Amino acid sequence: MGSDTERDDVTSVLIVGVGGQGVIMVSKVLATLCQEHGLEVKQSEVHGMAKRGGAVFSHVRFGRHVHSPVIPAGEADVLLALEWAEGLRWLHFLDPENGTFISDVRKIVPPFACRDRGRGVAPQYAKTTPRDVLEKVSVGYALDATGIAAKLGNDRAANTVLLGILSTALSFPEQAWLDVIERFVPPKTREINSAAFLAGREWVKEATVPEGEVLPVPEVDTVLKNVVNRLEITEEWCKGCDICVKFCPERCLALNDAGKVVVKDANACTGCRLCEMLCPDFAIRLHKELPAEVAQ
Amino acid sequence: MNEIRVTSADKFDIRDWLRTELMPHFMCPGCGHGIALRALLWACHELGIDKDKLAIVSGIGCSGRTGAYIDANTFHTTHGRPLAFATGLKLARPDLTVIVITGDGDSLAIGGNHLIHACRRNLDITCMMLNNEVYGMTGGQVSPTTSAQRYTTTTPAGNMEPVFDACRLAEGAGASFVGREATLQIPTLKDLLKEAIAHEGFSFVEVISDCTEIFGRKNALGSSPEMVLKQKKVMIPERSDNRIAQPFRPNPFPTGVFVRQERPEYGAAYRQMCERVQKGGKGR
Ligand code: SF4
Ligand code: SF4
Repeated sequence: MGSDTERDDVTSVLIVGVGGQGVIMVSKVLATLCQEHGLEVKQSEVHGMAKRGGAVFSHVRFGRHVHSPVIPAGEADVLLALEWAEGLRWLHFLDPENGTFISDVRKIVPPFACRDRGRGVAPQYAKTTPRDVLEKVSVGYALDATGIAAKLGNDRAANTVLLGILSTALSFPEQAWLDVIERFVPPKTREINSAAFLAGREWVKEATVPEGEVLPVPEVDTVLKNVVNRLEITEEWCKGCDICVKFCPERCLALNDAGKVVVKDANACTGCRLCEMLCPDFAIRLHKELPAEVAQ
Repeated sequence: MNEIRVTSADKFDIRDWLRTELMPHFMCPGCGHGIALRALLWACHELGIDKDKLAIVSGIGCSGRTGAYIDANTFHTTHGRPLAFATGLKLARPDLTVIVITGDGDSLAIGGNHLIHACRRNLDITCMMLNNEVYGMTGGQVSPTTSAQRYTTTTPAGNMEPVFDACRLAEGAGASFVGREATLQIPTLKDLLKEAIAHEGFSFVEVISDCTEIFGRKNALGSSPEMVLKQKKVMIPERSDNRIAQPFRPNPFPTGVFVRQERPEYGAAYRQMCERVQKGGKGR
């Protein structure tokens, strides 16, 4: 069968994460490395979510001849996840018999997860533990790559730690990886990225089945968590145009019988400032405040 | 309670920039000019402009009146002529940041002549044109930007005149910075105005605003919030470079920066010439 022949020849690596983590950097390093070893490479990606913390993925396929740039579900030889839930989301792409699963166990809760929930309620997050996943895959690594990178001095090098792990699953020489990484990272961070890469390779040697759970969802900054949004309304300036009432995503505002704006549900206010920004009469000012006891 | 101010929106309290004793302002409920005014002052705030060094020159019309509420040096001039006054002011006081607030009628009809020559000269002024498609203050007559088929007091059977594209006019006349944004996108509008003010040379920014009470009512465009939201439907915000990347995308109202050019600034060139002449040399 045609597809079988291709599968024998082609290695597929699926790299996933959220915007800003460096998914594209990882896939560029891999693609360049393959090219320099005379292999044909096809890469396809979804990106541009960097600012939004949205999902980013990149398919990298290489071999003597690669026809399709897209990895079929269930055929990825390696699934490299820079964020835990993204790893889980793409798990069905991994070859269940021979695939290697590599994932950071840090959680990143996407910004939109805060919609539709009350203030102070903990965000929901996947409950699957590394142990659950490792039981399902043939080879699996779940590690706190961000923590390793942070210990080296820059948690943003987590993607390079994971590259180190990836390098052990493929057959390119160590020095070739390091050379390519050097070219792809900003000059100032070359040293730390090399160290992060080697730390990843080291980690694999001692890898054991982790005991613990996935790391807890990071606490929201205590300062921001305690912020109280106070709406100051200058009633004499309000002309009752209804713009703030209709635009408020949380439906906090209403017009009273006199056609003036009133705060209907102060607790629902998320402090988005849409009302303040769109009021043509400057009748609303949002103050973000900290209760005195927290401020200390 | 301790107030925390982290982002630029936290730090910017528009009341610091207003003559609060004149408020509430005279504009109708829901008028987009108020939102545009906020964007302008927010841009000034972010640029760290000193109020004493800020001169706002405005013409006649609803747009012209907005200038009067700004707590800075304001100059309410004659119909269609704010650019002419601003030219004189900027030449005499190059240290001031000069911003002109004008409307579609003020700058395209009555003051059309001044606009094209201001664009041509490239003096370092920012011109913010509030386009609400109508002469609101005088009772709702047709203006050069009234859309086709729209009803106004002077087009009881619908407007049959072709519409001016103010940005393309400014571009053709040689403005070195041209952009357009709608009031709905106020943070983007603020950024656009910031770029325009910082640009050295003549900058023209068209703000799509809403006349809710007169134009909106006459054309049954709905309530104020509905009109503001409609901006989203007619406009597909995109940067000008997308016009080239996606030439077939139907886009009646492109927004973004259309022109950004380096051209000799008129005031600097003028002062150089004066210096040469004063030294006894020739003008050239
Ligand atoms: S947007 Fe402003 S003027 Fe309009 S109803 Fe709200 S507070 Fe009043
Ligand atoms: S800040 Fe946002 S959530 Fe709060 S009242 Fe205004 S529009 Fe509603």
